[in-house]
Amino acid sequence: MAAEYAGKAEKTFLEQMHSELNIYGLPHHWDLGEIMGFPIQLNAETIVFTWVAMAVCLLLGWVAVRGANMRRPTKMQACFEMLFDFLRGLINQSMDPKKGAGLFSIVVTFFLFISVMNVMGVVPTYVKPTADIQTTFAFALITLSLIYIWGIKYKGAKYFKHYVSPSPVFLPITIIEDIAKPVTMAFRLFGNMKGKEIMILSLLALVSGTSWLAGGFLAGTIWLLFCIFISLIQSFVFTMLTIAFVSGAVSEDH
Amino acid sequence: MVSLDFNATVFMQMFHFLLMLIVLRLVVYRPLMNIIEQRQEYIASEIEQAENQKTQAAELRAQMEADLRKARDEAKAIVDRATRASEEQAQQILEQARADAQRLKEEALADIQREKEKAVAQLRNEVASLAVLIASKVVKDGLAIDEQHNLVQEAIKEVGQLPC
Repeated sequence: MAAEYAGKAEKTFLEQMHSELNIYGLPHHWDLGEIMGFPIQLNAETIVFTWVAMAVCLLLGWVAVRGANMRRPTKMQACFEMLFDFLRGLINQSMDPKKGAGLFSIVVTFFLFISVMNVMGVVPTYVKPTADIQTTFAFALITLSLIYIWGIKYKGAKYFKHYVSPSPVFLPITIIEDIAKPVTMAFRLFGNMKGKEIMILSLLALVSGTSWLAGGFLAGTIWLLFCIFISLIQSFVFTMLTIAFVSGAVSEDH
Repeated sequence: MVSLDFNATVFMQMFHFLLMLIVLRLVVYRPLMNIIEQRQEYIASEIEQAENQKTQAAELRAQMEADLRKARDEAKAIVDRATRASEEQAQQILEQARADAQRLKEEALADIQREKEKAVAQLRNEVASLAVLIASKVVKDGLAIDEQHNLVQEAIKEVGQLPC
C-alpha cells in the first residue's frame, strides 16, 4: 500500500518525505463506490488519525471522570475544570449566559478535539487531521450552522433582517461576510497546521549528512516545541471565533 | 500534496465531531459538571451553615454574658446581705455585752450595798455590846438599869449616825 502511495505521480521532495513516513501503509484515499454518480472518497490518513484523536479525547475524558471527586479533584479533573471555567468565562463575557449555556459543550468539544488533533502532529509519523482542508472546513461549517441555529433560535425571522439593514444595498456584502466567516476560519486553521507539518518534514529532511546537528535536529526540536504552542493557540482562536460569531448572531444590537 | 479538492471526508469529519460532542457530553461533561455543581452547592450550604452557627454563637454568647452578669449581681447581693447580717449580729453581740456588763455592775453594786448594810448592822451590834461592856465596867454600880438602858440607846443612836 505504501509503495502504491509512494509510487504516485510527480514526487516532490515533501511528498517523498511524507510517503516515507507513512509507515502504517495507509492509502491516499478510500473509494467507497458512488452515490448518484458522485464518487465517495475518504482521505484515509485524515480519517484514521481522527479516530486516534477521538480515542485520545475519550481517554483524557475517561481519566478525568474516573477518579472524579467533589472534595479532592484529581489532576486531570482539575485540568478539565480549569478548561470549563475558562471557556464558560469566555462565553459569559461575550453573550447572555442563558443563551450561551447550550453552546458550552460544543465549544469545549471544539477546543479539546482540535487541540488533540493539532498536538498529535508532533508525534513522529502521525498526521494531523487538521492539516487537511476537509477537517477544518467541516468544523467551520459546523460553526456556520451554529451561527444560523442560534440566530434563528433567539431572534426568529428577525435574524435575517440584518442582511438588508440599514439598506438592501448591503445584501451582497453581508452574504460575502457569511461566506467569508467559515472560509477564513477553515483556512486559518488549515494553513497553520499545514505549514507546521511542512516545516516539520522539511527540517526532518535536513537531518542527514553533515548538517544534521546544525540544520535539522536542533531546529527540528525547537520547532516541535513551538508547534505545541501554535497548536494550542490555533485551537483557542478557532474556539474564540466560534463564540464571537455566535454571540454576534444573538446580540440584540446587531 | 496540498490538495484543495473536497470529497466525502468533510461530511465524515462533521459526523466525527458530532459523535465526539454527544459522547463527550454524556461521558465527560455531564459528570464533571455535576461534580462542579455539587461542590458549589456544598460550599454554599457550608457557608450558610457557618453563618447560622455564627449567629447562634453570638446569641449564645449574649445569653452567657447575661447569665454571667445575673450571677455576678446575685453574688453581690448575697455578699451584701451577709455583710449586713454580720454587722447586725456584731451590733447585737455588742449590745448584749454592754447590757451584760451593766447588769453585772448593778448586781455588784447591789451586793456591795447589801454587804455594807450587813456589815453596818453587825458593827452596830458589836459596838452596842462593846459599849455596854465598857459602860458596865466604868459605872459598875452607879447607874440604875433604866439609865443604863437610855445610855445604851443614846450610844446606839450616835453610832447609827456615824458615817460609814
